Amino acid sequence: MLRQFLSKLPRKSGKSDSPELTGSTSCTTAGSSPQPHRSNSLNLGSGRPCAPKRTSSAVFPASVVAGIEPLLPFKDVPNSEKMNLFVSKVSLCCVTFDFTDPTKNLIEKDVKRQTLLELLDFVSGSVRFSEPAILAMCRMCAVNLFRVFPPNYRSVVSNGGENDDEEPMFDPAWPHLQIVYDLLVKFITSSCLDAKVAKKYIDHSFILRLLDLFDSEDPRERDCLKTILHRVYGKFMVHRPFIRKAISNIFYRFVFDIERHNGIAELLEIFGSIISGFALPLKEEHKIFLWRVLIPLHKPKSLGVYFQQLSYCVSQFIEKEPKLCSTVIRGLLKYWPITNSQKELMFLGELEEILEAINMVEFQKVMVPLFWRIGCCINSFHFQVAERALFFWNNDQIVNLIAHNRHVILPIILPALEKNAQNHWNHAVLNLTINVRKMFMEMDDQLFISCHIHFKEEEAKVSILAEKRKEAWKQLENAASLKPIAGNTAVLVTPLATPIAY
Amino acid sequence: MSTVEAPLYPIAVLIDELKNDDIQLRLDSIRRLSTIARALGEERTRSELIPFLSENNDDDDEVLLAMAEELGVFIPYVGGVEHAHVLLTPLETLCTVEETCVRDKAVESLCKIGSQMRENDLIEWFTPLVKRLAAGEWFTARVSACGLFHIAYPSAPETLKTELRSIYGQLCQDDMPMVRRSAASNLWKFAGTVESAHLKADIMQMFEDLTQDDQDTVRLLAVEGCAALGKLLEPQDCAARILPVIVTFSQDKSWRVRYMVANQLYELCEAVGPEPIRTDLLPAYVRLLRDNEAEVRIAAAGKVTKFCQILSPELAIQHILPCVKELSLDSSQHVRAALASVVMGMAPVLGKDATIEQLLPIFLSLLKDEFPDVRLNIISKLDQVNQVIGIDLLSQSLLPAIVELAEDRHWRVRLAIIEYIPLLANQLGVGFFDDKLGGLCMQWLQDKVYSIRDAAANNLKRLAEEFGPDWAMQHIIPQVLEIANDSHYLHRMTLLRAISLLGPVLGSEITRSKLLPVVVNASKDRVPNIKFNVAKVLQSLISVVDQSVVEKTIRPCLVELSEDPDVDVRYFAVQGLQSIDQVTMSS
Repeated sequence: MLRQFLSKLPRKSGKSDSPELTGSTSCTTAGSSPQPHRSNSLNLGSGRPCAPKRTSSAVFPASVVAGIEPLLPFKDVPNSEKMNLFVSKVSLCCVTFDFTDPTKNLIEKDVKRQTLLELLDFVSGSVRFSEPAILAMCRMCAVNLFRVFPPNYRSVVSNGGENDDEEPMFDPAWPHLQIVYDLLVKFITSSCLDAKVAKKYIDHSFILRLLDLFDSEDPRERDCLKTILHRVYGKFMVHRPFIRKAISNIFYRFVFDIERHNGIAELLEIFGSIISGFALPLKEEHKIFLWRVLIPLHKPKSLGVYFQQLSYCVSQFIEKEPKLCSTVIRGLLKYWPITNSQKELMFLGELEEILEAINMVEFQKVMVPLFWRIGCCINSFHFQVAERALFFWNNDQIVNLIAHNRHVILPIILPALEKNAQNHWNHAVLNLTINVRKMFMEMDDQLFISCHIHFKEEEAKVSILAEKRKEAWKQLENAASLKPIAGNTAVLVTPLATPIAY
Repeated sequence: MSTVEAPLYPIAVLIDELKNDDIQLRLDSIRRLSTIARALGEERTRSELIPFLSENNDDDDEVLLAMAEELGVFIPYVGGVEHAHVLLTPLETLCTVEETCVRDKAVESLCKIGSQMRENDLIEWFTPLVKRLAAGEWFTARVSACGLFHIAYPSAPETLKTELRSIYGQLCQDDMPMVRRSAASNLWKFAGTVESAHLKADIMQMFEDLTQDDQDTVRLLAVEGCAALGKLLEPQDCAARILPVIVTFSQDKSWRVRYMVANQLYELCEAVGPEPIRTDLLPAYVRLLRDNEAEVRIAAAGKVTKFCQILSPELAIQHILPCVKELSLDSSQHVRAALASVVMGMAPVLGKDATIEQLLPIFLSLLKDEFPDVRLNIISKLDQVNQVIGIDLLSQSLLPAIVELAEDRHWRVRLAIIEYIPLLANQLGVGFFDDKLGGLCMQWLQDKVYSIRDAAANNLKRLAEEFGPDWAMQHIIPQVLEIANDSHYLHRMTLLRAISLLGPVLGSEITRSKLLPVVVNASKDRVPNIKFNVAKVLQSLISVVDQSVVEKTIRPCLVELSEDPDVDVRYFAVQGLQSIDQVTMSS
């Protein structure tokens, strides 16, 4: 029996032993990827029949394949040999094809596809994976999946700025990639995979390169990656801190450096469930993550793409630890968008959600800057922003908070209301404003009247204040011009010149 | 004025302003920090203002950015270089904030200040600051630290130097990729200040570590500085230590890395000397020219001329020229455009024979390229083109290309070609120009895009300058003046614009006899926009013609316009009259 399927092994095995793989897969990253040491004696299919030609760029590893032949089906070998056959089949799938040309290697491509499907079926079974099998699987996934993406032509090719088609670029090899992804998911989640052994191969560099793939433009691929990373996080306890750190690094780079990454939403989704699993009381490390990573993630222009996931993460934190509310609100105020109305709407939405969960003490900590900002939103010329801010008064929980602290809030918000009532261009906003004003009047007539009087006084003073400010600066400038600086004024012209001290 | 004597507290004014809710006011006051400092005087600036700023840096990033910038030029206000160190404290805090722009600006200002500080002060104040930042708990501080070593290092005593090198080495292996990236991109700056023995040992070790980083982005930045680093080394060291890394990187799996190599390769050549170029860098370069990824080919193609200049003609012909041929037929238009922008420079390198035989066909095919940018890039190097292939051949192949570009769908392309017309005219000479291009120049005056009409008018002016008034009288003026009868008011407006530009060039006599009558006639147009433009043009012609003409022709016309029913027409007419009065008064 054994001989029978040995004979079906790729014939080239002897010949193409030496140059294989290294060319097409050897990773650019130093010492990374689970590259095999060719020591395992059990590796039946030691001849991986792939003869790499040249390192091709990016997505399409262009190995020229002389031909691969199907191996025996699993059902035809005794249980004792199944793991060996598994390794052989996995090794067979290390061959990669050029999918840019759909007419090339049709038969071989199909053989590989069939083999992948067989493997998929087998992995769902209940045979315990041997170490060589794990190694072979990780290597096969690395060879197939870990690619460098091609340049993003949507941003490069401007074509006179008229080319706006948002069609993402899909890897033509997807039909194979998808099965490999499925295979990896099944493999990692399989109860037959011993995490203690597998962690040697699914190691830090494997994880880093998995994370690199999240920048893929293909949402299907990112979806697969999300599932896989999630499972890896679940299964490999030892890697958890590393995974959290590595994802944070991606976020940092995204926020502070490049502002471009395709997989932020997916990574945040994973974090959402990680956060919901945090034990109480929250560790300092996790709170730092909230403050240093999640809050700054509100800054990039592309917030809209991952806002839902981000706001879920934030709400998970608040649910775990309500005392974080004021911290989060302060953060939102810090990154409040000034010119982007769409983002402003998102911020207001998130704010409302937090305010629904906030307690009185936390609320009182931030209400002054918060309502100053809400006042600005109420005055926004973008009617949606103004409307959204005024809708806060439709929320009973928020109105309750406001009513309790009306002595602080009304003086802040009244100028904004009055300004709108006088001249907001949008009718809906105008009506809402008048309603809110009425609410305050009904809430506390006395207070409203005294605030209103105060407001009128202040309004009258505005121009005087501006005048005063101008005057103060004028005097300052006057005083400054009388006191020439020690060096000489030449230093002002060339700041780098050394001033000549008297 | 009686209150002027009331005591004024500059700091109080600033504090008051910085508390304002309106960010614009806060920004304005930070921008006027120097005024406050001068009002305070040096001593109080040091003892009050700077400490205040050091403590009050919890503002919007925009305000902090302004503060970081202002402080960079603040040395004079604190009493000169001997007190410069007081500025370090507020800037140190700014080096640790989250926003990248603020940090970068703070580092820039620190470098500015540090480069002026006295040696002892650097050791006493600056170096400790660098060490504190490098040991910072949060990565932002460590990122900033990397950009300051090259200031601190030169004046440090030996032991401190050793320490600084070792700290930088640690930063190169920092846990956070953000820090390693900063260390990689600042390495060449630091290397420039390090003694050559340590350069070869310590710095090269750091370089090698960074080029083997497990993050793509770190390696990329290490490559970016490799040419600058190479130039610091002896050629043989550069060849031994940097060259192998680059040759490996030129075959990296990541196109970004290869792209970076393509950008750096030429400069690296300058650092290694001729022999390694031939054996190592040339093959690497040829590989990059034939890279699978268009981005890489674009970067490589843009350097083709420079590269040929450092090679012997034989090598260039043997190795580079075949690639250039391939690139001229590249499937990516951007590659062809990059090639087109430099390819003409190869002619002097290759010599006449090789040029006519090999380069000319390439050049001609690029000139007929279907992508306008490619053709444009060739045409923009017209002077070089002319020298190479001679006017006859040039005009034959050039003309169809120009005519086509002149009618291109994209107005920016049309604009670009208009801007080359005076150069073309200069190269081709009057006769040729009249035959072929004169018509086009008129056609543009009636383009449907304003910028084109405007550029066309400007073009006429430059042509008139080039060929002189007589030529203009014969070839431009008659056609231009005909536009006065055009039914489209925008075209008539273009005429006015052209006249205002041509007047000064053609001189007083022609303006009076030919141009002015047309303008005066236009003052009776039915469109108010034309009329107030007439007023504007008349105003601009005051200085061109004689005083008598102003009084006889321009003034009556403006007076009439100043009674127009349209408010704008009246406004500009009155303005014109005022400037006549001014001229009269001053003369």
